[in-house]
Parts: sequence; C-alpha cells; structure tokens
Amino acid sequence: MSAAHTSHAVPLGKENAYDQVRVYIWELPVRVAHWMMVASICTLSITGYYMHAPYIDADRYGDWVMGDMRFIHILSAYAFAICIAMRIFWFFFGNRYVAIDQYVPTTKERFRGIFKVATYYSFLRWRPVSYIGHNPLAGLSYFGIYMLALVEIFTGFDLYSQTLSTPWIRAAFGWVQPLISIQYVREIHFCIMFVFWIFFLQHIYTAALVSIEEESGLMDSIFSGYKFIPKAELDEETRASQ
Amino acid sequence: MAHCISAQDGESMSTAPEFDLRTALEARGVSRRKFLKFCSVMAATMALPSRYSRVIAQSLEKTKRPVMVWLEFQDCTGNTEAMLRVSDPGIAEIVLEVLSLEYHETIMAGSGTHAQDALDRVMKDYDGKFIAVVEGSIPMGDGGVYCTIGGRTALDIAREVLPKAAAVFAVGACAWDGGIVGAGINPTGAVGVEQAVPGIKHLVNLGGCPHNPQNTAAALVHYLTFGELPALDQFNRPLFAYGNLIHEQCERRAHYDAGRYVEEWGDEGARKGWCLYKMGCKGPESTFNCPVVRYNDATSWPIKAGHGCIGCAAPKFWDTRSPFYNRLPKVPGFGVDVKAEEIGWTAVGLVAAATVVQVGANMVRDKVRPPDKPTPPENLDSLQ
Repeated sequence: MSAAHTSHAVPLGKENAYDQVRVYIWELPVRVAHWMMVASICTLSITGYYMHAPYIDADRYGDWVMGDMRFIHILSAYAFAICIAMRIFWFFFGNRYVAIDQYVPTTKERFRGIFKVATYYSFLRWRPVSYIGHNPLAGLSYFGIYMLALVEIFTGFDLYSQTLSTPWIRAAFGWVQPLISIQYVREIHFCIMFVFWIFFLQHIYTAALVSIEEESGLMDSIFSGYKFIPKAELDEETRASQ
Repeated sequence: MAHCISAQDGESMSTAPEFDLRTALEARGVSRRKFLKFCSVMAATMALPSRYSRVIAQSLEKTKRPVMVWLEFQDCTGNTEAMLRVSDPGIAEIVLEVLSLEYHETIMAGSGTHAQDALDRVMKDYDGKFIAVVEGSIPMGDGGVYCTIGGRTALDIAREVLPKAAAVFAVGACAWDGGIVGAGINPTGAVGVEQAVPGIKHLVNLGGCPHNPQNTAAALVHYLTFGELPALDQFNRPLFAYGNLIHEQCERRAHYDAGRYVEEWGDEGARKGWCLYKMGCKGPESTFNCPVVRYNDATSWPIKAGHGCIGCAAPKFWDTRSPFYNRLPKVPGFGVDVKAEEIGWTAVGLVAAATVVQVGANMVRDKVRPPDKPTPPENLDSLQ
C-alpha cells in the first residue's frame, strides 16, 4: 500500500506550519468496524448489565423488558462478533497500519517502542513518541482487547448454547461444561465487561492526549481515515518499510 | 417394608418363569388401571409417543424379574427415601415388583453375614446380568477408610460389584460426582461412581439431590423395555431428564421475560409468584425436567414453592452453584462476601480517578515543559 502515501499525501500549503502531509491511515472497513464495535459494546454493556441485575421496574401489563434486553443483547453480540471477525481478517489483508505486526511487536524496534511510549504515559518524557499508525503500546493493548473480545464471544455463545441446544452448537460448546462450570463462564463473561469499560476510559484519554500533543488529527482520523504526519517522519517510515 | 426380600430365603433368588406380574401387582393392591397409568407416566417422562405406553406395559409384563442390588455408600439415604415415599400408586411398588431387589441395606430384612451372603450370591449367580443402583459417594482418601461396610471399604465393594453388573444406575448427586460429601475441601476424597470405578460400560448418572424417582424409574423401565440405556448426555445423564434448561420449562418464565422479579423474600413480587432470578435462582444455568416431573407425585417443586432453584442436578452443584442466593459465584482470591460487580465497579472507579489525575498531570507537564526546537516560524521559512 506504499503507493497510497503518494496518491493520498496532499501537501496543505503554507498554512501548514509543521510541514505535514495528509496520509490515509484507517481504511473504511477499519473505521466502520471501530464504530460498530463502539456501538455494540455500549448496547452489550447496557443490556448485559440488566441481564445480570435487572435495574428497570416492570410491573405494567405488557412489559417485556428482559425479553427485549436479551433480544438486543443477542443481536448486538452478532454485530460485535462480525466486527471482530472483520478486524481479524483486516490484520492480514488490510493496509500496513492495521497489519498484525502493528499489534504484536515483531521487531526489536517496535518492542523497545512499548517502553518508550510507556515512559511518556508515565510522565517520564516531555513529548509523545510519534508513530504514523498505532504506537506499539497502544497496538499491544488493542491486541489484548481483541483477545478479550474473542473470550467474550466464546463465553457468550457458550452461554447462549444453553438455550439454543442445536446439534452444531452442542458439538461446538458441549465440551466446555465438564471443564469449566457454566457459572464461571458467566462470571468471566461479566468481569471482562469491566475491562472493556476500563479500556474505554484510558482509550479516550490517551487518544485525546496524543491528538492534542502531536497535532496530527488523530481524533479526526477515526472518522475521516486521514492523519497529518510530518513529511520527514513519513519519508523515514517509507524508507524503513521498503 | 413388606415388599422387601428376606435375604435368608434363597428361593426368592430364582427368577421363576411362571411369575405373573399382573397377579403380583394385584396382590399388592396395584390395579391394572394403576399399572397402565404408571406405564403412561413412564412413556411421558421419557418423552415417547403415547403408543409406547402399551409397548412398555407389554414388555414389563413379559420381563423375567431381573435381579437388582442397591448399594449405599456415603449418603443420607435421601434417594432411597425419595423412591419409597411416593404415595399410591407407588412407583416403588411397581418397580420393586418388576425387579427382584436382592440387596438393599436400608430396607432388607436380613442383616450381617446374611445380607452379605445375598450380595455374594447375586454376584456369583447373576454375573453380568444384574442391575446395580448406587447411592452415595465413594471416599478415595486414605485408602477409603472413611466408609466401610462389614469391614470392607466402599471403594473395595464398588470395584468388586459394579464391573459385574449389566447396568449401573448412579442415583443422586453423591453417586454421580461426589455431591455434598465431595464438595469444598472434600476431606474424605469422595468421588462419584464414574471416577471410583472407571470403565463401567453401561452407566447412567441420575444427578439431583435427591434424584427424582420418576426419572430413575423411567431409566430402569427404558432399560427393561428396549434392552438398552436411554440416550445420554456428556455426563452420562439421560437426555430425556437432563436435556433442557429448568428456565425453559419454568412456570414463572413469563415473569422473567417481562422483567418482574422478587426483590426480597416476602415482598409483593414474592407473594405474586414473580421470577426468582434476582434471588439467585439457578434455573437459567441448570438442566433438569424438575418443573415438568416435579417431586412428591408431581405435587410441587422448589420454584413453585417460592424458592429459587439451587441447581441440584448440575455438576458439582455445591461448589459451582453457590452462593445459592447470588447470581454469580465468588471470585477466586477475594472474600466470600465480595461480589464480582463490587470488584468490577471498584476497578472502574479507581481507573476513572487515575484518569482524572493523569489529565491534571498533563496540564502540569504542558506548563513546565521546555520549548521545542525548531519553532514554527523558522519552519515556515524553510518551506519556501
């Protein structure tokens, strides 16, 4: 996708004081998956928490609160599972900023970057370490979240298998029960929700922080797909990747 | 018990070909009508079409009184009680007439060596032909010393008797997976039949605390009628009894879907018979036909009586379904009374507070940071 840099790199002229170029980073499926994940995690959390501890009074004739909550939860779960599948596919078939090596560090450079970025987040560095795509620490944390998402999907369908009970779902999840009690499956499914919430807090915070500090349009990029990268940095990155 | 067999009486051992079930049942006050009713109930329990009640009746009448032994190990006799306490027409009366119960410590007349002789005779004369029912767990700890009968350990007896049986029915939670005896720290190393005597070919686990005698009778009747065990699940439990969630068959299910829950014992919801989900009911995570078959001649069952299900037919239910009044089990590494949601909310709260601190710290960093070089105006010139 290196051709994309030149074709999409639009010099913005004089007003661009930092000599930045506009670079297409997040392709459409990545952005769509991102926002679908945001939406589905929100609905999954709201309905899922109700399914754990019903917090709405329903004493009028015709109320169907739990039924609706479960329906939305299961519907969102399918949407979420599709998003995760799409993103995992894009790990291998997307552009280089969402390739799997942006999440799991494969080079020494990337691995050292984790600690470099960590020093910035822990106030041991004045300026953020800039990366065109994900920084190595962010990438690794997203990888962790994807893994937890897979656990959520697996435990969720295992719980769902209790009611579905079709032959294929029995074959897929029947072996789980003797190994781990369904109650612990439910507990894992519930507790990981809080990890998502914690991730949500820190994700917003770090995204806003780096966006302000780097002035790279990071926050906007998840809507538009474009980031603004200093030309020198982009040239260096392109050279290094060739 | 009138219908138990005297161990001293060697004659009772013979499976007399002229045995007539109809006469025998009538002698016990079980009419033909009651017998056919029993066959219909059995067919219904096994979820068979109604025409099978006739098949069951015919094959039970033709049966040659197979010999049965009932072994009790670490138990509370609850499963025996459940079997015998059902009222007229007694499942026990019919089952005990169809089968020839040669050994049952609680209800047999013989004792001591006489009782032992009866068991030995069954093993010798009916090797590979008798049916064994096991109640109670088998302790494996310290060589099995925690349960001995006639000076022999339960493990020893089980390993001698059970491999000789044509089919083994482990009734109750204890005989299935250790039950309450095997729960928690399990001081006696109690396990179920499956673990204590590995390699039993025809084993049916009938979990529950106690087992439901109607299910056990149905499993036995299935074996007698069709000559094979009913379809089993991954825990060797009959699918007809353990194949569906309690939640799916519950009479309070509509309240669950609507969102009407008992909030505390004795509140309006409890009086109106609303869903016990918030009181920790384990119906949504346990499979059993309890709501359909019910207990004590289908009089009632826990949820009908206003108490949540504790999942007594679930694997290792004392450990996995407790605390019985909470939705989720205790989180390992935290105190007994700490709930998963408390841990979750605390963690989220701490991180939220930390994020606020981080934002403040960034404002400070921004203030005290040394200026960058090169500055923007120089850059502007270099653009040209």
